[in-house]
Amino acid sequence: MILRTDGTNCDVETAYAFEQAGGSPRLVHVNQLRAGKERLSAYRILVIPGGFSYGDDILSGKILAVELTSFLREEISRFVAAGGLILGICNGFQVLVRTGLLPLGEIGPVRATLMVNDSARFECRWVRLRVEESPCVFTRGAAGRVVEFQVAHGEGRFFTDAATLNEIEKRSLVAFRYVDAGGRPTQDYPDNPNGSLNAIAGITDPSGRIMGLMPHPERNILRRHHPNWRRLKDYVPAGRFIFENAVAAAKA
Amino acid sequence: MLQEVRVGLLPALRDARGEEVLYEIRTALRIETVEAVRTVKVYRFEGIDAEAARFLAERLLCEAVFQEYRVNEPLITDADRLLEVAYRPGVMNPEAGSLLKAAGDLGVEGLLAADSSVEYAFYGRFTDEELATITRRLLVNETIQQVVREKPQTLLLGGERGRTGIIPVRTMSDAELVALSQDRLFLNLEEMRLIQEYFRKLGRDPTDAEVEILAQTWSEHCVHKTFKARIIVDGREKKPFLTRLREATARVARPGQVLSAFVDNSGVMAFYDGWALCGKVETHNAPSAIEPYGGAATGSGGVFRDVMGTGQGAKVIASTDIFCFAPPDTPPGEIPAGCLHPHYLLRRVVAGVRDYGNRMGIPTNNGSVHFHPDFRAKPTVIVGAYGLIPAARAQKGRPRPGDAVVVVGGRTGRDGIHGATFSSAAMTDRTMTVNAQAVQIGHAIEEKRMADALLAARDEDLIRAITDCGAGGFASAVGEMGAETGALIYLDRAPLKYSGLAPWEILLSESQERMVAAVAPEDVARFMEICREHNVEATVLGEFTDTGRFEAYYGGEKVLDLEMGFLHHGLPQRVLSCSHTPGEPEEPEIPVPGDWEGVCCRVLSHLNVCSKEPIVRVYDHGVQGTNALPPYGGVGGAGPNDAVVLTPLLDRPYAVVIAHGLNPVLNRIDAYWGGIWAAAEAVSNAVAVGADPEELVLIDNFIWPVPEGEYLAQLDRAVDACVDFSLALKLPFISGKDSLSSTYRGRDAVIHIPPVLCISVFGRLPDAGKTVSADFKGAGNLLVLVGDRREEELGGSVYYDLHGELGRSVPRVDLGRLPAIFRAVHGAIASGAVLAAHDVSEGGLLTAVAEMAFGGGCGAEISLPEKTRPDFYLFNETAGCFVLELAPGTAPGVLFAGVPCQVLGRTVPEPELRFSHGGRPLFTAPLERLRAAYRRPMKEVFGA
Repeated sequence: MILRTDGTNCDVETAYAFEQAGGSPRLVHVNQLRAGKERLSAYRILVIPGGFSYGDDILSGKILAVELTSFLREEISRFVAAGGLILGICNGFQVLVRTGLLPLGEIGPVRATLMVNDSARFECRWVRLRVEESPCVFTRGAAGRVVEFQVAHGEGRFFTDAATLNEIEKRSLVAFRYVDAGGRPTQDYPDNPNGSLNAIAGITDPSGRIMGLMPHPERNILRRHHPNWRRLKDYVPAGRFIFENAVAAAKA
Repeated sequence: MLQEVRVGLLPALRDARGEEVLYEIRTALRIETVEAVRTVKVYRFEGIDAEAARFLAERLLCEAVFQEYRVNEPLITDADRLLEVAYRPGVMNPEAGSLLKAAGDLGVEGLLAADSSVEYAFYGRFTDEELATITRRLLVNETIQQVVREKPQTLLLGGERGRTGIIPVRTMSDAELVALSQDRLFLNLEEMRLIQEYFRKLGRDPTDAEVEILAQTWSEHCVHKTFKARIIVDGREKKPFLTRLREATARVARPGQVLSAFVDNSGVMAFYDGWALCGKVETHNAPSAIEPYGGAATGSGGVFRDVMGTGQGAKVIASTDIFCFAPPDTPPGEIPAGCLHPHYLLRRVVAGVRDYGNRMGIPTNNGSVHFHPDFRAKPTVIVGAYGLIPAARAQKGRPRPGDAVVVVGGRTGRDGIHGATFSSAAMTDRTMTVNAQAVQIGHAIEEKRMADALLAARDEDLIRAITDCGAGGFASAVGEMGAETGALIYLDRAPLKYSGLAPWEILLSESQERMVAAVAPEDVARFMEICREHNVEATVLGEFTDTGRFEAYYGGEKVLDLEMGFLHHGLPQRVLSCSHTPGEPEEPEIPVPGDWEGVCCRVLSHLNVCSKEPIVRVYDHGVQGTNALPPYGGVGGAGPNDAVVLTPLLDRPYAVVIAHGLNPVLNRIDAYWGGIWAAAEAVSNAVAVGADPEELVLIDNFIWPVPEGEYLAQLDRAVDACVDFSLALKLPFISGKDSLSSTYRGRDAVIHIPPVLCISVFGRLPDAGKTVSADFKGAGNLLVLVGDRREEELGGSVYYDLHGELGRSVPRVDLGRLPAIFRAVHGAIASGAVLAAHDVSEGGLLTAVAEMAFGGGCGAEISLPEKTRPDFYLFNETAGCFVLELAPGTAPGVLFAGVPCQVLGRTVPEPELRFSHGGRPLFTAPLERLRAAYRRPMKEVFGA
């Protein structure tokens, strides 16, 4: 299920990425869930795609997070308990941290946040990411790989308190980090495009079945997506593995 | 009592937004006394108690992990000064709706209204005057914002039920008619007399609604009086401008290629597999001049709705932005009264386009920025939108009598009243104060959900006809849709933002994010259901009739009853005459430079050449997953490309190419050759990435000083240029717009803004794989210059400008040879022989080669022919010329047989450009220094 609401805008290409990976995605409006016309339990993967849900008013993703935790708390909790997969990309990641589902896998207090970029503005650019060792099923088999994805956000600076950061690192919940040309995590702009703590670009929950990331893997599933595909012979689009892993895990 | 919640970052955390303000204080205002700025968000709620406000703070407004809050007390107490900035009452704050929704979701009851604003905390030893300057120049645009000096008593806007007035035009003298028109109707005396005569015949006086709708429908903005006028040039009558352009299109458009031209909200061409592409380019100069953020944002919103309102509804797939400003470092004393500083304008216009396009999820991928001091009186803000639509739904819809008039989207408020008439008027020093109402800030999410709903309705075939509610509001949208039938609407059914609007205000309001659809009676229920499912408000206002009249009621009272015929055809064709006197600027004497690297750096850091990357990066290019050639590419993303390539059908390789061209300063010298240059540049940009020159269509935008005397003659020549170009290249114009009010009349100055002709181009290509980028692909490859030019034609060039000269010799692009050149370049790219391509434009060959090298991560050695003057060779800006990097083993003589082609040199591994002249070394410049010069100007403005 690709969840849509007012201001969602990466839904179509995210659905296409899942189709390419062998999934059967459906676009579902949050109103359909609230009205009971659609049920989360009928799906194996919940995706909250990129966009500006409700204009990112107050804080990015906040209004949708409040809506989900107010009306769909039980349904989401049951979905998680039943082993459902949840993926939040960009605005979806912002929603997931604001529900509490990331980093600790439970709807509850907000333990981490995504702040205004250090540059104070929306930026769209391609960045390098290193896939980290983590329990995450979306990145299974890819640890150590360096991939290039596009970021396009104004509020992507991962931030949390020292205790939570320590827990995230200790339990290996970081799924992606921004890295420099040498493949080393970096705090330097623009390789780290927003000033995220510990160069964190994406995290997973302890079960590995919930993941959120700021960069857009769905914008790197076709050869022509890469900004320099003309310079790269035999380029294999680097975003595909995430969707393939998700579909494989959901079918398992 | 209102509850106030203040939310700010924890004191230990950097405040990036505050630092951004500080950067602007230091760079734009050169004020050094402010040491730090922090920001606090202020929320106000009406109808709830402090406990409920605290609950909202905890659950909605503040996240303790990085923020703190206070209820009904200050948050920052140690600042030297606090300043709160809020929207003026009546300006729609888009956040208010979200606050109400989320509070409702959280179960908070009794909330009547909510608002938000920003409080700035200043630290340092600044003076009151400095703070006043910061407030006035950076933080508060008094058109829409105000400093909050005391806590407001209420957030609810009230008002008496609106009334209709009768305007006694039948008995008015000419002086009274003129007085009625000034600052409100913007009609001339002759037009006012026509209205007087019409109502004398009817034997009654008009309502205010009737006078207003006539003024609006007859405004230059809506009816294009000049473009439809009979034109007499030097005593000889020529066909109206619009007729000339349409006739050219009729002659050159290929069957099956152009599906709809000049009749709908955008022009449509065929794509592939039953799909079609549409395009529209608009200007939003006047609103952007007085409120740049909202003006530019609503410009984008409006042009998106033009695409959404094409046929039975299109999906917007791309946005473009083209701006002209005065230099950002213009001394404040040189800015005319009533005008805003270009540094502020540039940053705010970019922010407006950014926020609207990004939030709508529409990639903004193609644009440019041009600078000239005379744009200080009024900027040019051009926004384009392109769409994808099933070919079967691409024809303009026709309502049938009995169809419902349905308004969809946002509510109607007092905003934007008189926008159409105001846009048609020249700016004066009174513009800022008298016409402030004509501006609003835009609500992209409202438009996004409306777009989602309308596409769903279209796919169920529920829309008979649809149009944007833009300039002129319901009056224009319903009046135009019902022109052939008739329409009857009930104004009191329109959902309002607040009470107190007079009927004529409801009729004329230009509140954004509204569209009007004609829906068959049997489809209304389903249409409304789809809207509800998408959180979109939709209301049946009335119906289309067969009376041939435009009628409106308000609470039982008839406030409008006009014949559609008088409304749309009552205005007589104008007759305009002018004579053309060619200007006589001198051709300057320019010395051959000694410091070559210095000259190259000055050319590359000229405002019309330099990198615009900090602007481009704030636009989302990748959303929709369609981008196949980004604005910047190559090594480190350092090389700019000429056009955008999109693949809007994700599972198909079919490509859309979008580009544009303009060079306003050339029109100052000669609008004919300036016009040819703009069109040739637009098509060159498209061809340089691989577009097929026979599969393109054109859009014109004329932004001209008030067309009187010589400016009318120049406009005539610019139209001729478009027509000649269209016929020579066999490329049809399918849409266009004119904005003929680029004249500023102040108390002590008249400024004619440089005439702008912007040509946009879009087209199709069966395989995105056969497109090419501009960055060099490696060392040792042959470089050629393809195209026809006379190197000494430097009139209007950047090179002349660096010497303070304009010159006379605008490059005269040879229309006879251009088609073969375009075909040859396209053929070479399609064959795979071209590794990189870039067209020559502002900054000349030097700039083209440098930009290719920046993205290539390698250099080039270029040999200039013995007989040429090296500076002319490097800095000539003739459009229709290309620098190509050829694949090894390619023979240029064979590839470009029959078209002008010369070998320039080769790419080299060293990161430098080496030039020789007649076999002797001329100079070598390291790429690093060239690139630093190229990046410097916009880096300074945007701090990136």
